[in-house]
Order: sequence, then C-alpha cells, then structure tokens
Amino acid sequence: MYKRTRFYDLTYYNFVGSWAWILHRLSGLALIFYLCLHIWVIHSLTYGEEMFNDVMAFLNTTPFKLLEVGLWGVILFHAFNGVRIIIVDFFQGSLAHKKLFVALIAAAFVLWALGSYLLLSHVF
Amino acid sequence: MAQIDIQAKILRYQPEKDEKPHWQTFAIQVADDSTILDVLNEIHWRHDGTLAYRRSCRSSICGSCAMKVNGRNVLACETPVHRFGTKLKVEPLSGFQIIKDLVVDLEPFFAKLKRIKPYLIVDKPLPDKEFVQSPAQLEQIGESTLCILCAACSAACPSSWPNQEYLGPAALLKAYRFVFDSRDDGADQRLEIVNDKNGVWRCHTIFNCMEACPKKIKITEYLSRLKLKVVENSL
Repeated sequence: MYKRTRFYDLTYYNFVGSWAWILHRLSGLALIFYLCLHIWVIHSLTYGEEMFNDVMAFLNTTPFKLLEVGLWGVILFHAFNGVRIIIVDFFQGSLAHKKLFVALIAAAFVLWALGSYLLLSHVF
Repeated sequence: MAQIDIQAKILRYQPEKDEKPHWQTFAIQVADDSTILDVLNEIHWRHDGTLAYRRSCRSSICGSCAMKVNGRNVLACETPVHRFGTKLKVEPLSGFQIIKDLVVDLEPFFAKLKRIKPYLIVDKPLPDKEFVQSPAQLEQIGESTLCILCAACSAACPSSWPNQEYLGPAALLKAYRFVFDSRDDGADQRLEIVNDKNGVWRCHTIFNCMEACPKKIKITEYLSRLKLKVVENSL
C-alpha cells in the first residue's frame, strides 16, 4: 500500500463553495492581522497626544488610504459570505448557495465601490 | 458507431515494483459513446492487464468505481468520455491510501460509517405488520437513502483531508438518514456521536461533497439540518 503522507488535494478547488471557503478563511486571517495592527496603532496614545497625532498623520497618506480600500473589501467579503453561511446553516440556503454567493458578493461589491469612493475622495 | 482517439493519463502505482505513484499515458481508440469505465476496460483488456481498478455493476448503483477524473470525483461507469473531451486524467480518490493503481483503501471510510450505527434502532414494541410511514415522513429521508457509499463525497472534502478522524460527509449523511427516520429510536445515541469536533461541527459548508455526489444528494443541506437537530437536542 502506498502511504500518502499529504492528503491535501490542492487541485480539488474549482467550485464556488470551495473558493468561498478559502477566501473566507484568508479574509478572516487578514482581519486578525488588521486587528493586531489596529491595537498597535491605538497604543501610541500611551505615548501622549503628539505621538498619536504624528501616527495619525502618517496613516492619512495615500498608500494607507489605498490599503483602507483593500481592508474595506476584505471586511465586506467576510461579512457577506458570513451571512451566506448563516443562511446555508439556518435557512436551507444550501439549495441555492451559488446564487446566494453571487447575489451577496454583488451587494458587497456595490458597497465596496461606494465606500471606496468616499475613502478616496479625501485623497484625490 | 464512430471511434475516437483518447489520451488517457493514469496515475499508476504497482506496490511490487513502484516506490511511489507515477503517471502513465495510454493512447487508445474507443467508441464515441464510451464511459470512463469502458476506457479503463479497453486498457485493461487490450493494452495493459496489470491496471487495477474497482468495478462491479456498471450501472451506478454499487459505488465501486468512484475515482477522480480531470479534477473531479465521478463514477467511472456513468460518466461519458465526451464530457471531458479526448484528454483524460484519471487518479485514485484523494484522501485515501493507495492499494494499487486506482484502488484505494476504504477501510477507514467504512469504519467511520460503522461508528454512527448505520442500522435501524427500535425501542418501541414492534408493530404486527410493517412500520407505517407517511409520504411526508418518507420525503424527509427519501433522498438521503439513495447514498451508494462510493466515497466520492468524503474524498472531495477539504475538511476530511487534513483530519483523518473527521467522520466525513458520507457517515454524517447516514446519521441524518437514521436520525430523521420516523421508525428509528436511536437519534439520541447518534446525535451524541456526531456532536463532536470531528463530527458534524467540522463541516464548514464547502459544498465539495455536493459537487462530487454522483447521486446528486444535497449532502450539505442534510448536514446543516443535522447540525440544527444537534443544537435543538442539547437545549
């Protein structure tokens, strides 16, 4: 018998459900990373008002605004796919999970576009 | 009947001479309405008699010939070649040890099935004749009884791959089938077994099982209902 040491099949992911799952996990990890950064930034308050204002000014530069647009996308994906998972688990959403994915992600995209416009209108 | 040329790339593993699996390509000719099983038979009978694969009923009811063809789990006997074109890539099911070529070791799969007690448990007095079931009661479990235990779902499940202890969709579907059976009295025992981190809670609704199921059973939906039942039962 051939003992497979690695069972993970990285070629078996060509489906809406599995991509939704992978992106949900990755966006979750990204949000944890962001939360740590967020706490680290807020902790600059302990060094006084001036330090905090300096950090805030630094975070108001264009690269960080662009990152914020990305963050907004990650939050929306995680939230809307989370709603999809709740519908699947509690309201028999399995029967239309692909349509749910398309509809919810389309809604998330609209919100992303609107939010990005608001975020970037302060820069450009 | 027109003949077509097929390039069949098969993952071979002969335990007596191979250290690890390797690809072998067969260029063969088959009828254009052939199934994947016809292709394997053609190779086995006329090209290389050492090719090992499981098959029995050739009418998608025994569940022996589940394998991975061009990236998805199918039953070889019911899947026409033209669905994939002329280039085939045939592998044994993922997530199981390979015994030989396309034959995998399904012992762990059936051991998990046995853990959820896949038989009718009756505590109440037996009726004189048959158990009467209303059409609505049958409707609730009807589709889930169609499972042929081919293991295509469990082999497609990303939750199953890294965690060999996870019961997997097939065993959990069987649990659903008995828990929601109006004749059965063993729901509490089964719900206790599936209410585990390696039971129903390791299903992350990825839907690969539903994509793979050759019987088109809405497995994820039934697993969701089983989750709700577990919660309901423990309140």
